[in-house]
Amino acid sequence: MSAGDLGAGALRAALFLALWGTGAAVYAAWRRDARALSSARVSAAVAFALVVVAALSMMFALATHDFSILYVAENNARETPLLYSLAGLWAALEGSILLWTAILAGATAFVAIRGTAVLPRLGTTALAVLFAMLSFFLLLVTTPAADPFVRLALAPDNGNGPNPLLQNHPLMALHPPLLYLGYVLAAVPFAYAIASLILGEGGDRWLVATRHFALVSWALLGVGIVAGAWWSYAVLGWGGYWAWDPVENAAIMPWLTATAYLHSVMVEEKRRLLRTWNISLVVATFALTILGTFLTRSGVVNSVHSFTQSAIGPLLLGYLTAILVLSVGLLLWRSPQLRDAGPVGAPLSREAIFLFQNVVFMAATLTVLLGTLYPLVAEAISGAQLSIGGPYFDRVEIPLALALLFLMGIGPQLPWHGASRATLERQFTAPAVAAAVGAVAALLTGTTAVAAVLTYALAAFVVATVVQEFARGARARRALHGETGMTAFANLFRRNGRRYGGYVVHLGIVLVALAVATSQARTVDAERTLAPGETLAVAGYEVRLEGVRSVVEPQRDSVVADLVISGNGASDRLHPALVAYPNSPAAVGAPGIGAGLRDDLYTILAAYDQRSLSWATIRIRVIPLVSWLWLGGLVIGLGAVIAALPAPRRRPARMPVIEAPAPAD
Amino acid sequence: MSSRIAILAAFLAVAVAIAIAARPHDPTAGERVDRITAELRCPVCQGLSVKDSGSETARQMRDLVAQRVAEGRSDSEILAEFRTSYGDWILLSPPLSSWSLLIWLVPVAALAAGLWIARSRIRGGAVLAPPPSPSELASLRERVAAEEAAEG
Repeated sequence: MSAGDLGAGALRAALFLALWGTGAAVYAAWRRDARALSSARVSAAVAFALVVVAALSMMFALATHDFSILYVAENNARETPLLYSLAGLWAALEGSILLWTAILAGATAFVAIRGTAVLPRLGTTALAVLFAMLSFFLLLVTTPAADPFVRLALAPDNGNGPNPLLQNHPLMALHPPLLYLGYVLAAVPFAYAIASLILGEGGDRWLVATRHFALVSWALLGVGIVAGAWWSYAVLGWGGYWAWDPVENAAIMPWLTATAYLHSVMVEEKRRLLRTWNISLVVATFALTILGTFLTRSGVVNSVHSFTQSAIGPLLLGYLTAILVLSVGLLLWRSPQLRDAGPVGAPLSREAIFLFQNVVFMAATLTVLLGTLYPLVAEAISGAQLSIGGPYFDRVEIPLALALLFLMGIGPQLPWHGASRATLERQFTAPAVAAAVGAVAALLTGTTAVAAVLTYALAAFVVATVVQEFARGARARRALHGETGMTAFANLFRRNGRRYGGYVVHLGIVLVALAVATSQARTVDAERTLAPGETLAVAGYEVRLEGVRSVVEPQRDSVVADLVISGNGASDRLHPALVAYPNSPAAVGAPGIGAGLRDDLYTILAAYDQRSLSWATIRIRVIPLVSWLWLGGLVIGLGAVIAALPAPRRRPARMPVIEAPAPAD
Repeated sequence: MSSRIAILAAFLAVAVAIAIAARPHDPTAGERVDRITAELRCPVCQGLSVKDSGSETARQMRDLVAQRVAEGRSDSEILAEFRTSYGDWILLSPPLSSWSLLIWLVPVAALAAGLWIARSRIRGGAVLAPPPSPSELASLRERVAAEEAAEG
């Protein structure tokens, strides 16, 4: 039996089990039937194992270049290195949907085994929802819509090889799986929210049960987005990391709504408010992950990532519509039970800031959605062609992002229910002074764009509030538990990781904001045609062309420019190249990047003498602080890990109530 | 009192810094070329601007913009010239005309509507309720302990 037969058979068996499991879980939830539940649990575990077998057989087929499978013939070649062969699983539509299905099957199995044990009725109903979704995806991969194991009657001697852009950088092995994990794990909170609506539970059990899933999904999406930005920076060869490309927009939209949710969820936990809103955010996040897949995988939007056109478009659109109709219908049906008990607190309370923050996030999401869809709609209706790109999104999103930075500094400093004037003055003196220092520092370092100066001021503001929070927390631990210094500090993370991990995430966001503002405002470009030995000076750097050479590898031919960098204390060699793959008519650029904490030197081989390699046109961008963006992504991931780690159990402590908040009603 | 003065002074300093950053200055020819080419779509790329693209077409367009700037044309004249030859499609930020106005209005309207709804959900008036009675204080203590435990 070949890998292709094994994979195709496993997927068909998994589809049967998923359909069976859907029925069993529905029956188990409805009649509280233990035998049906255990049948559903076994089905989920076996279905997961089968989909993993299918995904592994596809990876095996790719690694062994089994060109009798159409997908392998189209996305692999004998010369493809092993890493890119394995990453071929997510290099095109069918494989991506298979990976998606495998992750969803894993989440379903987890809920079947853990979830139904913790909260039997709610967990079982959520399991039924997950099984139904899994059945849909298994249907996709077992029908021509996205069958990855379609066979060729006559296997070709060699395959096409992966898209050149997808075999040019090892980050390709990391960024898509991270994003997909983030996308798919958003299905779990959604399933629980739907289950809670179906059962008519008024409480927030669904939300507590899926807190970790929501956090982990959000963190993986965020880190996946930063990894994607890094990939496009290192591969696409224009010196940017974000182009408001539809596929980037598709990834950022669910991240924005998920971020809003992670904050507004605290209002529900503390104050039992915003119930309908929180469910809506979970539905929106999940629907946006499906919309993103539809946009990028159906070929609707012209983008580097829409490799194929396929029948999957209408199916995904139908699935999305069904999800929205079901969710909105359930929400309307159950809205009497979800009504909030009272108003949100005073305008200057933490819950009010969360509310404002949510409004800004919604406006930001809507802008991305509109800007992505509008050209399609306009063309469909009037035939008019128009572009919505960076300048539009920058104009709308930068003010919104600055507002969010501001709220990020304010929110954690305000108590629940409302703050007194004295509290406000005490909390904001140091941060305000820090903001002034940040603004002046921006001017002194030569940053003159208004948005960048504001970003520096707000970044300093946020950092000061975070430092203040940590200092206060450590002081409180010293007073209450007699801990000192590092112990108090470490215990803040251990005992209240959610809060202090959250602050670490805020610091990561500050790093990202500084990186974006500075690189946007202060990038310096230069371009010149050089003969070997000649130099080009830019922003204090000297770039000398040593020579141009051609390099032949089994899977590709390259022309490489050897550059020697000096100045600004740097001494480095960079090798920008133009790389030709046999399956692509145009050579793709491979930039030479000299990364540094202060700035990156981004060099591009724009053109060269094709006859005798006696000259090369070199384009250079000096991009300040761009590496802080990747650091920021790392810090965000670290903060999320701290927030997700379980705290040790402890006795409830007797806390002196210092500033008494108003009673809830 | 002194902290209020510190906060006010800090605000003032930020405002002055922004005013300094925003003061009008005559852009150099290079700055103008960057500003204009950032608005133009590179016709042969995937959604990149002429400023960012390294393609041959983008390079020619950059040269043309530089030439027009040197001839003394204004920014809007140069953009209009490209709009005439390529259509609205060449502009990465749609012009404020007819239907495209919508994409500028919707974000602003959404923000305004959202803030209005949020405002209606927020309790106005008094900032703090009177201090709690001893029995309320005891129940609050319990709640703090419970929430602390739940938070952990």
